[in-house]
Amino acid sequence: MSEKKARGSLLSDRPGPTVGTELKEKRDAFLQTFFRRGAELTDELVGENRRLQEQLTKYEEENASLKTQLASDRAIRDLLTKIDELEREKSRLLSTVHQQEELTSRVTNRFAEIESELESFANLYVASFQLHATLEARAVVKNVKELLVQLVGARSAAIYFTDEQGRRLTPVISEGVDITTLPTIATHGSMPDGVAAVIERTFLTGVPHVAEGDITSPPAACIPLQMGERVVGAIVIYALLGHKTRFVTVDRELFKLLGAHAGGVLVAANIWATQSGRLPSAESIREMCA
Amino acid sequence: MSAQFSCLVVEDSPMMRQLLVLALSRVKDLRVTEADDGVDGLRKLAAGKFDIILTDINMPIMDGLKLVKRVRTDPAHKDVPIIVITTEGSNEDRNRALQLGANAYITKPIQAPQVIAKVKELLKIDA
Repeated sequence: MSEKKARGSLLSDRPGPTVGTELKEKRDAFLQTFFRRGAELTDELVGENRRLQEQLTKYEEENASLKTQLASDRAIRDLLTKIDELEREKSRLLSTVHQQEELTSRVTNRFAEIESELESFANLYVASFQLHATLEARAVVKNVKELLVQLVGARSAAIYFTDEQGRRLTPVISEGVDITTLPTIATHGSMPDGVAAVIERTFLTGVPHVAEGDITSPPAACIPLQMGERVVGAIVIYALLGHKTRFVTVDRELFKLLGAHAGGVLVAANIWATQSGRLPSAESIREMCA
Repeated sequence: MSAQFSCLVVEDSPMMRQLLVLALSRVKDLRVTEADDGVDGLRKLAAGKFDIILTDINMPIMDGLKLVKRVRTDPAHKDVPIIVITTEGSNEDRNRALQLGANAYITKPIQAPQVIAKVKELLKIDA
């Protein structure tokens, strides 16, 4: 019953037909506006959504790119670190290589020095050995000549011997020069200097190369021959072989060897020849040593 | 242990021979036999086997050129390498020796490293 009453009340409050039309129009207008605004809002929301989607995609792409870049940067950092390490390793290796090169160079130089010294010792050994290998006069002369030519590199040379008084030097052996063209040299009693001084002077003055047989030029070298303290002669080298442009250290030693031994060997060979190669008796040796 | 290579040195000068022997003593595994001249050289060649010959050119009795010629016509030794030792300025002898079949030459005064290098080269010794 109360529902009926309420319904009856509503129906009784209902406006008239004009008011209803107006309301209907207002309602329609409102609805239209509402729906239009709704559609617009929906459009805006769809647009915003699209924009946000696009932005999201863009950000995702940027993010991916940044991630890639970051990875790339890490890789570059790693590579740079690796490069630094490799550079340090390279420097270390280069330093080692330089050290090894220096060492190799030192060893090579030392090897060359030792080779040269070995050659010098071999020459001196052979010279000494051959000088004393025989007392047979021809062999002694041949050995001395060969020593001058093969070891010293003399193209022409002569050996002078002094007379008993030591006043003149007479040529007794020659090689590469006619002995008859060689002069006898007056020494005015004695050699002015000792053997060592003359040899040193030969080295210091560095007498230049002279032509074969040209005995008017200064000789290339003059080596006094000594027996003990006594000078008994001299070896004069007039010219050197083509390959020999200067005297070297071993020549100085060879000169000293010749100066100290060649004179004695020649004298001994001469005495041996006068004895016709007869050995002295044991008795005479004992007397000599007593 | 016996030597791997054998060398015949033919040289009339005792001094030169001694220098050559001293130089060659530095070649590992090389046995050196000495001969005074060409005839002595041929005699020693006939009595043994040699891998290389070093010979002087100017020698009494039989010189180096004749020795080279004889060795090259001997079927048993025709392939043995020969080094001739010449003096400065003897280009004619040197060329003649090479024409006769010598493999190389060394000019006096001899230098040990040069002798060693030539011998090693002909014997194909590396070290």
